[in-house]
Amino acid sequence: MPLGAYLTLAALVFAIGLFGVLTRRNAVGILLGIELMLNAVNINLVAFGRFHADLTGVMFTLFTIAITVAEVAVGLAIVIVIFRVRRTVDADHLDLLRG
Amino acid sequence: MTPRVGSATLALVVLGLPFASFLLLAVVRPLRRSAPAAAAVSIAAVLGSLLAALLTMRGAAARAAQQSPSTTWSWIPGDGGPMATVGVMVDDLSMTMLLLVTLVSFLVQVYSWAYLHDEPRTSLGRYYAYHSLFAFSMLGLVLAPTFLQMFVFWELVGLCSYLLIGYWYDRPSAARAAVKAFWITKLGDLGFVAGIVMLWSATGTFDFWTLFQMGSQGTLPIETLPLIMFLIYLGAVGKSAQFPLHVWLPDAMEGPTPVSALIHAATMVTAGVFLVTRAFPLFLLTPDLLTLVAWVGAFTALLAASMACVESDIKRVLAYSTVSQLGYMMAAAGAAAPEAGFLHLVAHGVFKALLFLGAGVVIHVFHTNDVFRMGGLRGRPWIWLPFVIGTLALSGVWPLPGFFTKEAILAGVFDARLGLPFAMLSVAAFLTAFYMFRVVCLAFFAPPHHAGQAHHHVPGAMTGVGWLLAALTLAMGLRQVVGGHHETGGPGWLPWFSLALAGGGILLAWAMYQRRAIDPARVARALGPIGWMASRRYGLDALFGGLYRGVLLALARLIGWLDRYLVDGVLNVLSAWTLRAGDRLRRLQTGQPQDYVYGVALGTLLLFVLAQWGLR
Amino acid sequence: MLAFAGVAVVLLASSLGVVLTPNLFHAVLYLAVALVATGVVFLLLDAPFLFAVQLLLYAGGVVAIVVFAIMLTERLVGASIRHASRYLVNGALVSAAVFVGVVAFLVQMPAAGPRPPWPGELTVMVGRALVGAFAIPFELLGVLLVIALIGALYFARSEG
Repeated sequence: MPLGAYLTLAALVFAIGLFGVLTRRNAVGILLGIELMLNAVNINLVAFGRFHADLTGVMFTLFTIAITVAEVAVGLAIVIVIFRVRRTVDADHLDLLRG
Repeated sequence: MTPRVGSATLALVVLGLPFASFLLLAVVRPLRRSAPAAAAVSIAAVLGSLLAALLTMRGAAARAAQQSPSTTWSWIPGDGGPMATVGVMVDDLSMTMLLLVTLVSFLVQVYSWAYLHDEPRTSLGRYYAYHSLFAFSMLGLVLAPTFLQMFVFWELVGLCSYLLIGYWYDRPSAARAAVKAFWITKLGDLGFVAGIVMLWSATGTFDFWTLFQMGSQGTLPIETLPLIMFLIYLGAVGKSAQFPLHVWLPDAMEGPTPVSALIHAATMVTAGVFLVTRAFPLFLLTPDLLTLVAWVGAFTALLAASMACVESDIKRVLAYSTVSQLGYMMAAAGAAAPEAGFLHLVAHGVFKALLFLGAGVVIHVFHTNDVFRMGGLRGRPWIWLPFVIGTLALSGVWPLPGFFTKEAILAGVFDARLGLPFAMLSVAAFLTAFYMFRVVCLAFFAPPHHAGQAHHHVPGAMTGVGWLLAALTLAMGLRQVVGGHHETGGPGWLPWFSLALAGGGILLAWAMYQRRAIDPARVARALGPIGWMASRRYGLDALFGGLYRGVLLALARLIGWLDRYLVDGVLNVLSAWTLRAGDRLRRLQTGQPQDYVYGVALGTLLLFVLAQWGLR
Repeated sequence: MLAFAGVAVVLLASSLGVVLTPNLFHAVLYLAVALVATGVVFLLLDAPFLFAVQLLLYAGGVVAIVVFAIMLTERLVGASIRHASRYLVNGALVSAAVFVGVVAFLVQMPAAGPRPPWPGELTVMVGRALVGAFAIPFELLGVLLVIALIGALYFARSEG
């Protein structure tokens, strides 16, 4: 399969993930969308690495996966704290930054 | 007479002492709030200046005719030498003026201490501060070696006049009079500044001595000179109350009487005459303008004298008298006899100050300015004698100085073949004697208005100063008699003629107001329309008032409207829009995280578009 | 070719499931499928090591964490687990626009050639790189994980 196919696939998944981030009301749901976006990025990286025979792509992906896991952990911890404080994880109610 | 030059350092001392006094009083508030301290500082400063002026006069050395009497320092730099300089010009003219200004200032300040005794203590400090500033300004004016410096001090003097006329600023009439004086003289000043700027653009210099040299060598650009000198003369018209800009001087009597004595008799109003005398070598180059000056001067003399005849306020009479005498001085200058005019300036300064201060005494006694409410002072010669001496001097009676100077002026005008001005000046002389003795008869010798009111004690300072000035007047006259006054020219019958004018006026006044032999009311009816017009000041005040309200205030209102609605309006609109925009933009910050993600996504899309554009 | 098409379909379908299904628990399950499909894509790209890593960390770890989080943050008593989405049209528009933007760049790419061969075994190369060229990032990654761990612990501590 040509490089372009992988890249297009990744772009699609990214767009779907973005859609999820923009529309989901539950905070955990938003995090799921973010996961999808990160996945798409990984596909991109590996595809480029493979088609240029460059190890950097693969290494980058490896590190990205590790960091993503850490990010999910911290993010969910924050969500749990918000739930404890405000008794809701509905994104519509989390508007303390309102100007 | 050989020209002389005085010490520049001493001149600076004369100038600096009142300035230092003003600074001290302006800056050190406790000093100003304590009236005795303020008066002491100011009087001491002006006394020091007087002594320095005397020393300058005594120590003056002869100079060559080619040598400049100015000492200047560079002020505004320009290419090819400084554009403007500051300094002092200490020649005979300015040394005489220094003496006059410091002497009269000193006497008036001492007199003021007694006259204004009932003033609140804190106001008096302000009064003396203004006096110090005025002394500094007037001295700077007479010492100025350039038109520009003279103009700066000219304006300062005008400011001091405003401040002192409006000293009792809570009186509406005083405030109005101060503003009126300021505006009318400002009209003249417009001409003055236009004239000196045109002169500078034509010649490249403001300096008197340089201009005089250029004039004598014929290198002055002659074509525009009449216009330039006319514009400069306009400044003198305003400041020295020539027709038609004389209307401010009678109203300026709202100020305290010592102020009137100083500024509106002896010093500030003479600035215009001084200007003409100082710049006379330039005026000589425009003989037509000089003729105009003489005509305007003579007309002013007659006009003011006529208005003085129908006034009942003693200060107003003296004010009109000053206007009239200023007309005399200008007429002399216009007749190419500036020395005669200047001599009259000095003599008039002394005896007019005497008259004003004497008027202050009777005002103090009767608590009114109205001569018809005065009288019954025949038995107190120490009050009326100085005033009568002053009156005789003003009327031009031998052997007092007024006789000699007036005769010199009449001679000069006669020699210049100015027929109608000569006639006008003669009639004015007659009227001068008449209205002054009218005042004397009514205020001093008439039966008292209310019996028993004339026992008020007069402070010694006031009468003492009056006697001093009277003695000075007598001395000046006697000096002329003994020293033999220089040739005045004119026909041999002139001295007798002027004496006859004076005598006739005095006689008529005595007959009308002392003996009641001629009824004043019948005379008034006989001269009907003139009298009516005179008492209404010939409508000139109304004219200026109408112009002021109609033109100036309307213009001010228009500009105010423009300022509020256009200038401020633009700014207010901009700020209102900014606030509204900010308010609207604020709604972007919803606090919802997903909205921010929208923002990021839209920004990214924008970057895509820009990148695509860049790829082309 | 066929393999790619199949994996692509699975991945896309499960992604859509993640974002569209109202039930959050179902969304997590769909995410698991999507993560596995991504792993298979890695396999197709000759990166078996990454396939393994993906399965272990993502499909295993992340999904587990998310399930726990859902359990802790849903009101299990009474309130439904159904949470709808909103502003679907806006979101779809923006997402579609982003996709179109990316594809616009992609179509301008010159056609890539065939895949060049890997110079050696991938896993071996990765291992060598981790202790060689990428040693410092590797160590820093460890530090990062510790920090994240401490942070998460701090957040999740019980009050008092």
